[in-house]
Amino acid sequence: MTDTSFPVEMVGGVPVVVTPEEIDITNADRLRTALLEAAGHGPGRFVVDMSRTQFCDTAGIHALVLAHKRASAQGSEVRLVITGAAVLRIFAVTGLDDVIPHFASLDDALAATSASTEGT
Amino acid sequence: MTAVDPVSVEARLRDIQSITDAALSRLDDRDLLAELLDRTREVLQADTAAVLLLDFSSGQLIATAAAGLEEEVRQGVRIPVGRGFAGRIAAEHRPVVLDRVDHTTVMNPILWAKGIRSMVGVPMVAGGRVIGVLHVGSLTPRQFTSGDVELLQLAGDRAAAAVQSMTAAADRGAVAALQRSLVPSALPAVAGAEMAARYIPGSGAVGGDWYDVFSLPTGHVCVTVGDVAGSGLTAAVIMGRMRSTLRAYALETADPSEVLGRLDRKMQHFEPDALATVVYAVIEPGLDQMHVALAGHFPPVIARPGQPAELADVRTGALIGAVPWTRRPVTTVPVPPGALLCFYTDGLVERPGEVIDEGLDRLCRAVTAQSPEAACAAVTGALVGSEPARDDIALLMIRRHAGREKDADD
Repeated sequence: MTDTSFPVEMVGGVPVVVTPEEIDITNADRLRTALLEAAGHGPGRFVVDMSRTQFCDTAGIHALVLAHKRASAQGSEVRLVITGAAVLRIFAVTGLDDVIPHFASLDDALAATSASTEGT
Repeated sequence: MTAVDPVSVEARLRDIQSITDAALSRLDDRDLLAELLDRTREVLQADTAAVLLLDFSSGQLIATAAAGLEEEVRQGVRIPVGRGFAGRIAAEHRPVVLDRVDHTTVMNPILWAKGIRSMVGVPMVAGGRVIGVLHVGSLTPRQFTSGDVELLQLAGDRAAAAVQSMTAAADRGAVAALQRSLVPSALPAVAGAEMAARYIPGSGAVGGDWYDVFSLPTGHVCVTVGDVAGSGLTAAVIMGRMRSTLRAYALETADPSEVLGRLDRKMQHFEPDALATVVYAVIEPGLDQMHVALAGHFPPVIARPGQPAELADVRTGALIGAVPWTRRPVTTVPVPPGALLCFYTDGLVERPGEVIDEGLDRLCRAVTAQSPEAACAAVTGALVGSEPARDDIALLMIRRHAGREKDADD
């Protein structure tokens, strides 16, 4: 069993949720809880660092979209860090490329100023 | 804790046993609750016992079962959480002992009108949250002891488990009934085409997948297949609403992107927390082409006669419920005579730890341009096998007749 916890770290004042190697129907509920908690930190952006994640199914995708929605509704913003090919693929197949801004590294995600100017 | 009285220890063990008796679990949950109330009343030598369950939508406790206090249930007594005796127990998540029962301590007039003088109640907790309150009352003044509270809590825990199991069974029954009523009992007859479909419930909590196919007055054939995020009764209810909303908008506009756009606006206004993937396809009356729009859903598979099946080359738009305003691309896919179209939900192709393309490839290899019934059987045989699927699966196959072969298939 891989590590399935979702620690939240503060990096330069920005909450960063680190996701495990695999996200699927068995841990997507806990991911959703962790993300909604991070989204509840109030206005401002937060990052979901998925660079360790090699697999994410549609249940995980739903959790990410829900967090994005909740954040947008509060004038906040979610940014994802995605490096795994399988994760990038499920993003493309489910049409999320245009929905949630995502970056190739944590530094890029933290450095970018605003999603609206990213043109991702 | 001074001298231990062996008689009272024995009596206490008997009391505990009466409440935790394994034989109780052979009763069905509703009978168990009634029997448990009787035994609780007996071991605590109380005159009344009642269970109030929390209705999460209204935040009120509703009298559900009672012994010696049946009018509470018959009159449908409701107590807001935080108010009165039972309301306080639920709000504070702890037992409460009352040695004075009147309008200042108890909200429910039945209790003081009946002449109850002392009461003790405990929260019923399941999965870390309060789901109700169990309380007993005495017509003569008495001081309930901490031992009484412990016994009552034991009964409360047992009652919570019974209620939990009752709710789960009711939910499962409702979801199954909802699925049965929503999945088309018979697929429509469409000249020049035949179809077959499967709905396979998952081993986890079932819920949000559907397929639907219907003809429009214009002679177009509409196909919708979707998957509401989440599971259980909530997802199934949203699924039902989405399915009928799509039927309504399909009558109003022929543009798949417009139908999905209207569905999205309707969902975001009335069900702001809902998320779903949908494929919406309109097949021309002559069946020679199909217009498809995708809302975060995997593309349909098309198998042309004599060729390997492939994913239809359709660009995907955003999920329903994901972004405030979006227009999804519409792709026109030619459907040659004899071609088979396969629509499905993610449960069919997703496997833990596997890149999604592997599942999609597996599906393409299993689909061939044959009769829809045989194609369904081949696909479920190859992709579902004998292992129960974790997620539910909806699968719909439509085949355009191959010219003269029209009557060949049954």
